Amino acid sequence: MKHGSALRGLFGHAWLTLRLNFRSLQALSYGYLVPVFFLLAFGSVFRSDTPPLLHQMGQLLTITILGGACFGLPTGLVAERERGVWRRYRLLPVSSGGLVAGTIAARIVIVAGAVVLQVALARWIYGTPWPSHPLAGIAAYLVVAWAFLGLGLLIAALADDVPAVQALGQCLFLPMIMIGGVGVPLAALPAWAQRLAGFMPGRYAVDVLQRCVADPRGLAGAGFSLGALLVIGAAGGLVGTKLFRWDAGRRVGRRGLAWSGVALGAWLAVGLAAAGTGRLEPVLPGTAYEQITPEQVDAITYDDLPEDNELVTRMSPPFARGHEPAFVLGFREKLAAWPPGHVDDAGQRVRNLLSVAAVADICADLHEAEIGRMVYDQLRIAVGDARLRLVLAWVILRPDDGQVLAGIPELNLKRRPAERVVRERSTLYAKKYLGRLLGKLHD
Amino acid sequence: MPPSAPAGLRVRDLRKSYGPVEAVRGVSFDVAPGEIFGLLGLNGAGKTTVIECLLGLREPDAGSVTLGEIDVRRQPQAARRHLGAQLQFASLQDKITPRQALALFGSFYAEAVAPSDLLARFQLTDKAGAAFASLSGGQRQRLFLALAMVNDPSVLVLDEPTAGLDPQSRRELHALIRELRASGRAVLLSTHYLEEAHQLCDRVGILHAGRLLATAAPSDLIARASARPRLFFRAAAAVAAAELSRLPGVTAVQPQADGSCALATNAAARTAGALAHLLTQAGIELLDLRMDRPSLEDVFLELTGSAWTGNDAEAPR
Repeated sequence: MKHGSALRGLFGHAWLTLRLNFRSLQALSYGYLVPVFFLLAFGSVFRSDTPPLLHQMGQLLTITILGGACFGLPTGLVAERERGVWRRYRLLPVSSGGLVAGTIAARIVIVAGAVVLQVALARWIYGTPWPSHPLAGIAAYLVVAWAFLGLGLLIAALADDVPAVQALGQCLFLPMIMIGGVGVPLAALPAWAQRLAGFMPGRYAVDVLQRCVADPRGLAGAGFSLGALLVIGAAGGLVGTKLFRWDAGRRVGRRGLAWSGVALGAWLAVGLAAAGTGRLEPVLPGTAYEQITPEQVDAITYDDLPEDNELVTRMSPPFARGHEPAFVLGFREKLAAWPPGHVDDAGQRVRNLLSVAAVADICADLHEAEIGRMVYDQLRIAVGDARLRLVLAWVILRPDDGQVLAGIPELNLKRRPAERVVRERSTLYAKKYLGRLLGKLHD
Repeated sequence: MPPSAPAGLRVRDLRKSYGPVEAVRGVSFDVAPGEIFGLLGLNGAGKTTVIECLLGLREPDAGSVTLGEIDVRRQPQAARRHLGAQLQFASLQDKITPRQALALFGSFYAEAVAPSDLLARFQLTDKAGAAFASLSGGQRQRLFLALAMVNDPSVLVLDEPTAGLDPQSRRELHALIRELRASGRAVLLSTHYLEEAHQLCDRVGILHAGRLLATAAPSDLIARASARPRLFFRAAAAVAAAELSRLPGVTAVQPQADGSCALATNAAARTAGALAHLLTQAGIELLDLRMDRPSLEDVFLELTGSAWTGNDAEAPR
């Protein structure tokens, strides 16, 4: 006689689900070959980027998790239900929630394998950098998997058979791929689609994953996206568990449809919250500055700028080489090594550095004028004059695009002014710098 | 006796409706330890609903199901620890092996029979590592029976365990079910096969349109039936019906289309002896003689007014 327990049984069930998955050629093909195919497809398009594929990894990983959750999980569950496997499980002295949780845990591991495979192959084939925040990446993966597996559970509950899983899964998968900011980058979508994407979890999944892959700040500032995913996952999981069917003979009926409304209600709530907090404003592609024409640059005027020694946007004269004050030497070194000043997207890099000058100025830092000068010097080093002209013009002409940094404690700028003010002040500094680059302003 | 045996299964006034359709209408029966109770009925009679209700797969509208002191409706998890079941419409994953399945199912119970013991007992040791999809029908049913035994239950519910099996596999399964009875377990068996029920069951219940019409040992049910044994004979020359009707025990003489003759009798042995004597004295050669006894099929016909349309022709004789 052997001794067991419900908990041991649940672990055993999750472990066996994993083992059976790895014995199925079909499951392996779908779970691992298809993600590799997507990687190669993305790679064939974005391999010449610098660095290659880095800016698409969030999308790529989201597609993989979405596929594993919206198709892999419900297909497995419904196929087993159709065969009568779950009918037999029902006779065990354990709750349905436990067995479903075991199945989901196994699926999280299966999909995680595909994600790791994609990251490793991207590195090996294309030289894509490793994720900048691997631990935050694990947390982000779990949150994204939570959101999508909740939807997968809902699909499993609603679908009567495997073909219905495919149909329902496509109803979620395709909109998110096409207009949800997952397959097609958000910035490439028309404004209406970008706003609509705010009501779908895919946009938030791409956001949190991409931050862990390529953003020096990691998940800092991703609170809304993480919250949105948690809410959507919780609603889907709750309804999916509520409507879970052991037996293929049982039907969901009107009650099921009503409960599905609760799950979709979470999408709506998230979208409305995003809209209400100004998160659904359309964004431009990261290379929007390249669209700026010389005529647009020439048309910029500098009449409204305060003098360098006035109250706002102060800026010291150039430093005499070899006679810089001690503060300048130390801050210059810190600024040169500051990670947000090195992000790959030149547009965002400039906005980050402009934010340093703006925050110091708004907070009336003791060295605000010197900082304003050092930011200018660093921008020329980090971006190069030719491209810097275009980016500064873009910042001036499209002040609401891109992101600004309001809190920069790592450079000893402790106060956190309002984002809107930082954006305004960044634009003023951008004008001062562009004017100097073009010879229209002088020190 | 199994170690933690509640004293058998008791079902009282079980009722279940699906919308306007009353599928089960006040069914009551008991299955005692060491007894095989057969639930007989045509498709739609309510057998599966009864079984699903007592296994906790379906919530009955009324009535009670108890395993000893355990109320199945109120304490379903506790009941499942003492209950083993083999379901007609259930399966396993294609790639799972018998050893894995037994280990997995056993791991949910505080005490479980070791997979190797079950594999040996149900003659599956050679297939312990084979994928479920590669097992024959008989091997699969033996595996399901082994799974039903994984918690060493005191009550076993077997829903059509021999459906679709070849005669050899059925005989093997019958032997295993008899072993379970011999070990003191209460066995509830649902079957389409009347002959199987007659051979295996200590008592049977005839379920028709959601009602249990009769419950008794198969032989008692047959004895109570109004149908009588019939002697069929064929002779080299015709015998007068009047002479046949005077034979002891004969209640009716029924000439058959194929030239033979049937004698309904309430004393089959005496009638057979007297018939042989009559033919010898008349110098008529007896070409063929056989006796048909009443069966559960006759009982079913009498009780329900419907002919049995199960697959009894396939059942082992």
